Amino acid sequence: MESKNYIIDAKNLCFSYKNEDGDPLPVIKNVSLAVEKGSFVAVLGHNGSGKSTLAKLLNLVLTPDSGSLVIDGCETMRDDLTDADIYDLRRKIGMVFQNPDNQLVATIVEEDIAFGPENLGIPPKEIRTRVDEALKAVNMTEFAHHSPSQLSGGQKQRIAIAGIIAMLPDCIIFDESTAMLDPAGRAEVMDTIERLNKEKGITVLLITHYMDEAVRADRVVVMNHGEILLDDAPRHVFSEVEKLKSVGLDVPQVTDLMWRLKKDAGFDLPGDLLHSDEAVEALGKLWKKLSGEEA
Amino acid sequence: MAETTGEKKHAAEIELSHVTYRYSVGTPFEKAALQDVSLKFEAGIITGLMGHTGSGKSTIAQLLNGILRPTEGQVLIDGRDIWAEPKKIREICFRVGLVFQYPEYQLFEETVAKDIAYGPHNMGLDEKEIARRVEEAARFTGLTPDLFEKSPFELSGGQKRRVAIAGVMAMDPEILVLDEPAAGLDPRGRKEILGGIRAYQREKGNTIIIISHSMEDMAVYADKLMVLDHGHLSRYGTSHEVFCHAEELKAVGLSRPQITKLMMELQKAGIPVDSGIYTVDDAYEAVVRLFREKKQGGMA
Repeated sequence: MESKNYIIDAKNLCFSYKNEDGDPLPVIKNVSLAVEKGSFVAVLGHNGSGKSTLAKLLNLVLTPDSGSLVIDGCETMRDDLTDADIYDLRRKIGMVFQNPDNQLVATIVEEDIAFGPENLGIPPKEIRTRVDEALKAVNMTEFAHHSPSQLSGGQKQRIAIAGIIAMLPDCIIFDESTAMLDPAGRAEVMDTIERLNKEKGITVLLITHYMDEAVRADRVVVMNHGEILLDDAPRHVFSEVEKLKSVGLDVPQVTDLMWRLKKDAGFDLPGDLLHSDEAVEALGKLWKKLSGEEA
Repeated sequence: MAETTGEKKHAAEIELSHVTYRYSVGTPFEKAALQDVSLKFEAGIITGLMGHTGSGKSTIAQLLNGILRPTEGQVLIDGRDIWAEPKKIREICFRVGLVFQYPEYQLFEETVAKDIAYGPHNMGLDEKEIARRVEEAARFTGLTPDLFEKSPFELSGGQKRRVAIAGVMAMDPEILVLDEPAAGLDPRGRKEILGGIRAYQREKGNTIIIISHSMEDMAVYADKLMVLDHGHLSRYGTSHEVFCHAEELKAVGLSRPQITKLMMELQKAGIPVDSGIYTVDDAYEAVVRLFREKKQGGMA
């Protein structure tokens, strides 16, 4: 396969932190992950499984100990990479973090969004265009002149996303960006993420603890102790209920119920139901069968 | 095995009576976070306090333990105004324990055991009692004794969170308020922390208030739910009494548990499953019971 179809192509990445005595503490162990341009990949894993470290490696904030990391066709593990090259590569992979309050720097929404492009040295006229488009992309145009402090958590996260979009990234990594939001805020942000992926073709890497968010991705990668445990379509990954539970994760409530009905109560159900309409259909069939016997 | 601490204490109720709280009074940024709010947290149960961002949840938490003073109105524990003698307000911090959001950033002691013991120390307890409380709080939060002598900074984020919660539990407050204790934890971590809080409440019989955005978690772990909307009390009651108002919840930025939505869809599809199901356990039992009855009815 040609690497040019991939925005991220990581092979055999290893990374260790150092403990107090200077001994290596391996966090990422031989991870290979290729992310196709325009795809929507969810990354699941227990706390400490290495998800956020992997994100920092992919964003070139951390440097792998070994392995190969190709970003948009450019090998980053070369000695001759200049600072300018690194800045350019980092711009391609934006990151949105968990806490909305830690990511906003300016006192006016549109100035906050302009912060990134200003630092890239973009001419003012071009910045204006980018800011306006970024605001539109996250449906926040009417808040351009507000103070971020007046916004809800979901709105603040959308501004943080707009700030990244204004730097024209190819890929955005969301590191538990909905963890601190209320249900309405989570829905707003998830809808925004999905729209950026579908309509703008931005590649999405979504790190999350919410199984119902992961269901919306094209592909789910499950990390466990620094390694990739599962990597497949959501339907296949979430049919591995026991494996997921054994590594401290869960499945969506609908999947959980159907799995228990099948396994513990002997219901004749498919093992890979993800959505409530599928569950209703499957249970409906069983119900009709029972009604038929009655007649 | 595990030591039980004997008698349950008297459980205290805590209420806000006509409380108004304004931030930045006297500046152009003055803003009322709460306006004439009256609400009561019942004694001896777990109340789940829910509401959209900015609905006033965290302001209430800080009013309950005297960090904030009401602009107007009173905060009452068992009917007594906590601000009756403002000089004694520090004692309220011992009676009403507050665990902030992301408390793992507030650890500072050299060892885990010392960090958990910090509160009990300030209460002037003797060493033996402090040691007993540290051990007990560690048990409820799932911290094993081999961690006691480690530096809190060597621990994982989830373990640090447990240390912070244990530190407040060790003060054995009559009322314990936790602001999003499970935020950012993986599913197993959420279950362990919330399960530990419930076990603690069941053993101590004290009054607990958990602020949460997770309808699914609160359906499982809270005895009563309280919903806030823009600084007003919108709903209070059992999960059924709160979650049956689907449209209203949506209007205040909340939602019903996913499993409840599935049960409603099953009803629409002509499968007469019970209304009022809010947890996967209950859904499992209800569906199994319904299908068994149908089968037996069919064979009869």
